Amino acid sequence: MTGFARYVARRLALLLFVVWAILTIIFVLFKLLPGDPTAIFVDSNFSVEMIERQRALWGLDDPIPVQYARYLGNMLLFDFGESFFQNQTVAAILFEKARNTALMIVPALIISIVLGSIIGAIAGWQRGSRMEKTTVVTALVLHSAPSFFVGILALMVFSYQLGWLPPGGMVSLGGPETFWDIVTSGDYWQHLALPCLVLVSREITGPILLLRGSMLEVKGSDFIDILRAKGLPEPQIVTHAARNALLPLVTYVAVMTGLLFQGQVLLEIIFAWPGIGRELVVALNDLDYPVAQAALYLMALVTLALNFLTDLIYGAIDPRVTYD
Amino acid sequence: MLVTGLFIAMAALAPLIAPYGPFDVAYDADRAVVALSPPSWQNWFGTTNQGMDVFSQFVWGARVALIVGLISALGSVILGTLVGLVSGYFGGWIDEVLMRLTDIAFGMPFLPFAMAVISIAEPSLALVILLVIFFLWRTPARVIRAQVLSLKARPFVWAARAAGASDTRILVREILPNVLPLSFLYMAIGVQTGVMLEAALSFLGFGDPNVQSWGIMLNAAFRAGAMRTAWWWVLPPGLALSIFVIAVFMITRAFEDRLNPQLRGI
Repeated sequence: MTGFARYVARRLALLLFVVWAILTIIFVLFKLLPGDPTAIFVDSNFSVEMIERQRALWGLDDPIPVQYARYLGNMLLFDFGESFFQNQTVAAILFEKARNTALMIVPALIISIVLGSIIGAIAGWQRGSRMEKTTVVTALVLHSAPSFFVGILALMVFSYQLGWLPPGGMVSLGGPETFWDIVTSGDYWQHLALPCLVLVSREITGPILLLRGSMLEVKGSDFIDILRAKGLPEPQIVTHAARNALLPLVTYVAVMTGLLFQGQVLLEIIFAWPGIGRELVVALNDLDYPVAQAALYLMALVTLALNFLTDLIYGAIDPRVTYD
Repeated sequence: MLVTGLFIAMAALAPLIAPYGPFDVAYDADRAVVALSPPSWQNWFGTTNQGMDVFSQFVWGARVALIVGLISALGSVILGTLVGLVSGYFGGWIDEVLMRLTDIAFGMPFLPFAMAVISIAEPSLALVILLVIFFLWRTPARVIRAQVLSLKARPFVWAARAAGASDTRILVREILPNVLPLSFLYMAIGVQTGVMLEAALSFLGFGDPNVQSWGIMLNAAFRAGAMRTAWWWVLPPGLALSIFVIAVFMITRAFEDRLNPQLRGI
């Protein structure tokens, strides 16, 4: 095997190990729950026999190792059972919520990367100018400000004071439901504007700072002097330089998406966006454990997949990473 | 620095500065609750929907923020430094076990897991701090391990070993002083992240209901719909949180610049 293939295989084994470990943690966590899951679900009118039957149906009378093995199998096959309260399979519920989360994250991500790179490249090119300094300070402040308060502020100003944008939700009540209907409706974009703005205000800072930094490096290199000697107009030189400065951004994007997913819960709550993070909060409050358990697992899975991806990209791009 | 100092002073002197207790309810002359009153001389920042003084809660909140920030930062840095030292220095199966543990920790998104644990146990400030520590130790552990690996190969460590120093002695006398600057850096980052995470958890309704932190204030304000009606209830905790976190972040960056000038670009 080549070095890189071995590296990938090793990372993959590690990924599987961590998935198993996290599944086990989730299992233990939900086994530690005080009381009996049937207690929440079962009506007080239920007879003892009915409760017994329900317990047997859910396999709660089996020994713990049997339950554990069945749980692992189900989770790996994405068979999460049914929700306690919503008359639907957990997988169906969470698939829809995850799609909604993506409907908020992806546009924000694209805008942040494209716009952030452009701003960062220009700022890096004009080192020492007032524009550069203002950009850096603004980016640092936005980068460290708590995004949920920024969200609350945006809501107060744009929805309540000015009344320009809807205060929450993804589409209006009774709005479109299928993917195509949603993304082609103006309603969705109106609801998206505010959360997207808040997300971008934070996520854009990464590409800006990163590109500014690598632009400073590229600017000092020889090939820029050559381009200038060839008499290329300044904007074209900037484009050339930016293309070379873009490389570090590739790895950063994977990291960024992972972080974005973690902070997502807050914005989904503030903007009443029906995403997976909000579903987890709702499920935890309602004691809908099948949903909570699966949401937790899926969110961890996304984090893991992105970590894995970052490692791979790193390994592929940076020759200094040793494959062992 | 100045801003952080102000917050520390506010937290230390909370009982003197805050005109009322964090849960005290204001009554007017007719013994009626003064709910949702805008800022006035009696209540500088107005009152909440239950007639509590926003300014007092805001001042007490600084104390909670500082406690959470400092303890969780200290705890996570001690844990992280220990793991990093042991893992990097001894290598072998100890390193393998500890590093797989950090891998697991890196795979757990904080907010979802913290919410799940809190909803299963009783919410308390101690639990929140514990969770934050659990979330924060992983990064310093990895970075310090890498640092130890490179230090281990330096001549002064060989010299100490040749002179017959024990492992403990080498770790404490030779290696530890060299990783301490890194530990301090992560301490500062920990304060910032700790405060932010506590606020986020509390805002989501998973905070300790027996204390008044900025996050809990924001949660109460958010649920009461104060964004629409009572700006004076929303802005103080939110701005305090933002300014505090930004101030600590700037200190961290200044510190980082000095520690590692190469990082300046990012």
